[in-house]
Amino acid sequence: MRTRISEYAARSEAFVRDEPEVREAVSGATRVFDEKRRRAYGEVDAEAWRRWAERVKNHLLTHLDDYLAEAEARLEANGARVHWAGDAAEAREIVLSLAARLPAASVVKGKSMLTEEIGLNPALERAGIEVRETDLGEYILQLLEEPPSHIVGPAIHKSLRQVRDLFAERLGTAPGSDPDDLARAARDVLRDAFMNADMGITGGNFLVAETGTVALIENEGNIRLATSLPRVHVALVGIEKLLPRMSDLAGFLQLTSRAATGQPVGTFVSLIQGPATRPGDDGPEEVHVVLVDNGRTDVLRHEHAWEALRCVRCGACLNTCPVYRQTGGHAYGWVYSGPIGSILDPGLLGLHEAMPLPFASSLCGACADACPVRIPIPELLLAWRREARQQGLTPWRDRVALAGLAAVASRPGLYRVAGRTGTRIGGTALARRLPMLGEWSRDRAPPRPSPRTFREIWREGIE
Amino acid sequence: MLERVARATGARGGQPHPGRLETPASADPVKTFVKCFTSQGGEVVTCDPARSASEWLTDFLERLADDPPGVAAGADVPARLRPRLPEVAAARAAAGISLAWGAVGETGSLVLPSTGTRAVQLLPPVHIVWVPPGRIFARLEDALLALKRELPAAVGLHSGPSKSADIGRTVVTGVHGPGRCIAVLEPGAASNPRMTPMGDGARPKG
Repeated sequence: MRTRISEYAARSEAFVRDEPEVREAVSGATRVFDEKRRRAYGEVDAEAWRRWAERVKNHLLTHLDDYLAEAEARLEANGARVHWAGDAAEAREIVLSLAARLPAASVVKGKSMLTEEIGLNPALERAGIEVRETDLGEYILQLLEEPPSHIVGPAIHKSLRQVRDLFAERLGTAPGSDPDDLARAARDVLRDAFMNADMGITGGNFLVAETGTVALIENEGNIRLATSLPRVHVALVGIEKLLPRMSDLAGFLQLTSRAATGQPVGTFVSLIQGPATRPGDDGPEEVHVVLVDNGRTDVLRHEHAWEALRCVRCGACLNTCPVYRQTGGHAYGWVYSGPIGSILDPGLLGLHEAMPLPFASSLCGACADACPVRIPIPELLLAWRREARQQGLTPWRDRVALAGLAAVASRPGLYRVAGRTGTRIGGTALARRLPMLGEWSRDRAPPRPSPRTFREIWREGIE
Repeated sequence: MLERVARATGARGGQPHPGRLETPASADPVKTFVKCFTSQGGEVVTCDPARSASEWLTDFLERLADDPPGVAAGADVPARLRPRLPEVAAARAAAGISLAWGAVGETGSLVLPSTGTRAVQLLPPVHIVWVPPGRIFARLEDALLALKRELPAAVGLHSGPSKSADIGRTVVTGVHGPGRCIAVLEPGAASNPRMTPMGDGARPKG
């Protein structure tokens, strides 16, 4: 899979330096999300909910084969068709063959990170199928030919001015239109798409094994429309998205909504069991559920990383992350960004492909405190860092510098000489040419070292 | 693929299910529903018990618009809950009329089954939903467990009007679904006793 993860350092620097509008928009939006999440956690016994959710997901992941079999049987009994996709290519092929069979000329889509992960839209478009993203943020990005930059708010990196300019050019809205007018213009275009689409494609927030229920949370109503009006609904669901029973779903719907947007529950929740086959039932004639692995089994086998599979894609860790807030999601170079991306991408893509993401964190721990399923993100980052060092994937300059530091710190005589040298050359032009120190002081005023080393002060007596 | 998953889960060792999540059940689910639904932008009205539901709704809809509006009603809405107004296709209707299976207090949600007409629940700019008496559950889990016994093809939980903050972080309503979502409590619904939680027959594994 082609990603731009290896360019992380250069791209994040470019975003911070050259696109202040992105930092302003992302940091503003994530602070609002984070504040709402904190307030919503405060209204319930969030610690108990999070501990419960962690244990339900651990139970699920350690019995995943049983629950997948149960979900398949229930869905088939409900009249839905279940398809298994081992990787992205198989998942794309399944959807393409379903579309070809209809044949589908147009598709409406609900926001789905999994379809981004498997590159579904380009594949459908290459097959001559018109694909319309219908989430307002996703629609904006589709017009701009950009990927989403955030799991919940895909276009949070765009300012009102940028959307105004885009819609004026593409939809003919008046130059000074307010968000209401802009949203109405988008709705008019998308309403036609809903009425004429042959197929609706969505992801799935959860899949309840007990009842074969695909659950989807949203605020706009576009997913309800995409799963109600077209003749065929296809839901792509990662195998880790299962829940054992309906009563678990009640807790997860509320916890996920509180973590993502601070709501008691998303404005619209779709619970889909299958096609409308019984008299009096209304809805699609066909419902297909594509269960996608695409690296998840490898993650499940991993000694540490398997805990990342508890993720419910709420985006709370992105919203609270001081690193993500500076650059937004695009700097990370792949679908899953921010803290969760930095631990999930190495598992899904392989550590080599995901370097240097495990290092794109200050390890402050805010993400772990926000996570509704208590994924120990800083610990997993450290686990990936250890693996990266063992596999020799860290830059040679870092390895040499750290080996040097270890050698100096473990030899008192050498440490003394180094300390003294540091007080002499620190803050000088020479220091700015040294590896690491030079990089660090490029955008910062270098600290002025103390004229005496700590050892000298200690020897003379601390006053 | 299942074999591969089985090999991966086998290496993990089974962890037990923690059982149910206990969320506090309000003693007055109707009050909780009204508070939670309206705090998310939904509107709640109570049908005048002195008049027939149909007459009351006709007046209510006529007050919403200057011209007598065309309405669309779900297939499962009985005649006594339909207004005396011209019915048109959902895509052209000024208001959609649905009958909820029930409602949920703790999340402020209307539970709308696919045995109603899904286009009516989604396309008109105003969605009016009848909530039958005795059908407001305190907790979402109670509602889902009761629903589990009679699950239709699909269920929608609607907890207020359609909204988005994707443009400039400004909340706009009526983006795709209805911009107004009005719950109408049938006479008696406002004073119903608390629904008791239903038992869950299925036991988790492990």
